[in-house]
Amino acid sequence: MNRTLQKKIKPYIWLLPSIILMAVFVIFPILIVFRLAFSEVSKAGIVGGFVGFKNFRDAIGLPAFKTVMLNTFYWVISVVGLSTVFGFIIAMVLNQKFHGRKIARAILVLPWATSLVIQASVWNYIIKYEYGNLNNVLLNLGIIKEAINWRSSYQIEFIWECGVGIFVTIPFVTFCVLSGLQSIDSTLYEAADIDGASYWDKLWRITVPLVKPSLTVSTVLNIIYVFNSFPIVYTMTKGAPANKTDTLVTYLYMLNYYNRQKGPATALSVIGFLVLCICAGIYMVGVMRKEEDL
Amino acid sequence: MKLSESIKKKNRTALLLLLISVLLAAVILSLPAYKFTSSVYTKKSANTFVGDEKYTEVRAEVDAVAEEYRASGLDVEVSESVTERTNSKGETTSMVAFSVDQTFTKNGWSFLSAGMGSTWVLMALLLCLVLSAACALAGTVGSLDDPYRALDGRAAAFRSASYYLALIAMLLVPVFFMVNTVLMSRRVDLYCDGLLTEGKEALFAKLDAFLFGGQGGEELESMLKGLSFRNTGAMWLLLPCSAAAMAAGIQLRRGSITHTVVRGLLYAFVIALCVFILYPYYVMLVTGFRSIAETNDSDFLHLLPVKWQWGNLKHIVDRGVLRYLGNSLLVAGGATVLALLCGIPAAYAMARMRFKGKNVFLGFVIVSQMFSPVVLLIGISQLMSAMHMYDSIWGLMFINAAFNQAFAIWLLRGTFVSISPEMEQAAKIDGCNTVGSLVRVLLPMAAPGIVTTLIFVFINAWNEYTISTVLISTASKRPITVGITQFSSFNMIEWQNLFAASLLATIPVVILFMCIEKHLTSGLTSGGVKG
Repeated sequence: MNRTLQKKIKPYIWLLPSIILMAVFVIFPILIVFRLAFSEVSKAGIVGGFVGFKNFRDAIGLPAFKTVMLNTFYWVISVVGLSTVFGFIIAMVLNQKFHGRKIARAILVLPWATSLVIQASVWNYIIKYEYGNLNNVLLNLGIIKEAINWRSSYQIEFIWECGVGIFVTIPFVTFCVLSGLQSIDSTLYEAADIDGASYWDKLWRITVPLVKPSLTVSTVLNIIYVFNSFPIVYTMTKGAPANKTDTLVTYLYMLNYYNRQKGPATALSVIGFLVLCICAGIYMVGVMRKEEDL
Repeated sequence: MKLSESIKKKNRTALLLLLISVLLAAVILSLPAYKFTSSVYTKKSANTFVGDEKYTEVRAEVDAVAEEYRASGLDVEVSESVTERTNSKGETTSMVAFSVDQTFTKNGWSFLSAGMGSTWVLMALLLCLVLSAACALAGTVGSLDDPYRALDGRAAAFRSASYYLALIAMLLVPVFFMVNTVLMSRRVDLYCDGLLTEGKEALFAKLDAFLFGGQGGEELESMLKGLSFRNTGAMWLLLPCSAAAMAAGIQLRRGSITHTVVRGLLYAFVIALCVFILYPYYVMLVTGFRSIAETNDSDFLHLLPVKWQWGNLKHIVDRGVLRYLGNSLLVAGGATVLALLCGIPAAYAMARMRFKGKNVFLGFVIVSQMFSPVVLLIGISQLMSAMHMYDSIWGLMFINAAFNQAFAIWLLRGTFVSISPEMEQAAKIDGCNTVGSLVRVLLPMAAPGIVTTLIFVFINAWNEYTISTVLISTASKRPITVGITQFSSFNMIEWQNLFAASLLATIPVVILFMCIEKHLTSGLTSGGVKG
């Protein structure tokens, strides 16, 4: 009896350290955020009683709320969409055999390995008007005659932020697609060749369907990571002017730590968290289905 | 017979094309390449309206000056520009600026005798084209009429050389323009404004000889200051010209162009991509070792620092960067150890044991990969102050370990599952317990997967920024990602220090990442990871 009990409990003991770690540092903060979102929170962070949806109403009533939500939407859609397209094309190219392929792949990994703050700072310097490196290079190449103001308006600055976002996201997509491409059986292409299929036929009928699972995983994960991406916007514009370039995460950071509007900030946290949960749900369904396929 | 005829014909066509390209290049060089305009004399006249008394007076004066220049053999023209403004009283004022401009064109050949930087580029370009044609000739003579004899090594080498020389010629065209631009506009500006002084006299003498045929004399500096130039576009024709030569070279070498062009485009794409990706790193590297003056100089035109400022490194070390690096190492290292210590048993249980709730836990692991600490920022900081771990490196370590836990388990589980359990079972029969078989048998076999996981967690923790900015308030406890922000305060950014420190923060992780790069393609989609 004791033996069987021990055997039953054993797996849970093996899981225990991991569960404790995640429960304390992941689950707890989630609970805290939810509790704060429904409580009265003073500017100093002292938690009062239950106030229902007041914080949510306050958050939605904030003047910048609509802009920030739209920005977040544009940010996620443009960065995820474009980096998926570019990443796919680059993966197709890097999957060819050519000299220096290993070097090219090693270089491609660089933006992924670099901290986002550092990437954002470098691009910040590159696109500076007065002494930015891009203007300098273009002037010296004789491509432009006069320095161009690369950040003439906040819309353009936001586009630059998206560009940097795409730049750092491409390697992840590329490597996901590459791993999908490499698992494709080459006999499929040989069979298609015998049947006289064109390049595009092979692309649409073989490559794309077989890479689709990898693309789904990378897209959903990217939506989540891009949604949460804080350092690029924070380093490049800090949301200025007047939250016009803020995304949800930078906005809630500013609200909480600069404006001390802790109530609405936690409400925004919960909103962001729920959006992520929906994505996570989609992702989980996808992964589980993939597991079944294997 | 038919085949040999067609090969002969192809070879002849290719050779002809190459020779025509070279001749064409010679013709293109005779076309006007640049149009220069230099103001030799300017006169501004305030409160002057076009057509009034003062205007006529000044105009006559300027015309006289122009006449003088014409007498000395220069081809000059008088031009005027009018600026009208409304002053504070609402009256319209007007200012006329006259200038006596000398306009002249220079063709490509004149660059060849100018003795300036671009001369050497142009010479190399021409040499490549001529040599390319020569090599093609050498490679085809003898084999032209003899298609059945396999190309001997020498002929093949000549043909390859011809193709590569044409390629180099093509690449040299933009270099030629770049050198010209640097020389003519930017550097002349800088010398005239006194920003750079070294070699001024020599440069001016050369430019004078080239542009004005030695007529500039005393007024040279003002003439150069008023210098503007426009590329007539004729020289860009060299580009298709050498491209045609290259195509001919390819035809000779391979017998087919399509394949080589596709390969060429592939390489061009990959090279462009690599340049684009490396560009920010190049900026980081060179800016990190420039002097302050050079970083903030809008006119600097050196690809590399004028003088490598190794002192920047010393300066940032004095400002505590080593300390931040140490903190980062501690946080990332601690988080990695913790994540693996908790993750390996969990992954092992998931891979090898059967128990109720396994799928629930698996689902939770997948979902919790989505929980970014950023959205939970407020909750985390509350939790940390409740646990008295606010502003503590330990707290940071735990948070990083916890948020990387899910994917560590996911990745490790994948590795463990891919290893057959037979060896462990054998070890168990030999008297090993579960822990023993895990440590002695499974872990050594799973080493590559474990190293990959380890490096991933390490890099994630090393690059983490948001949580650290919120949790750490004491300067000496900052990790490097937060530490570098001290170089960019609101009103002044010390770019050179910022990038020198960034470089130190980037190099170790980049090296680590490149170590696991080949595992990325295999483990990615199954693990679903991202830094």
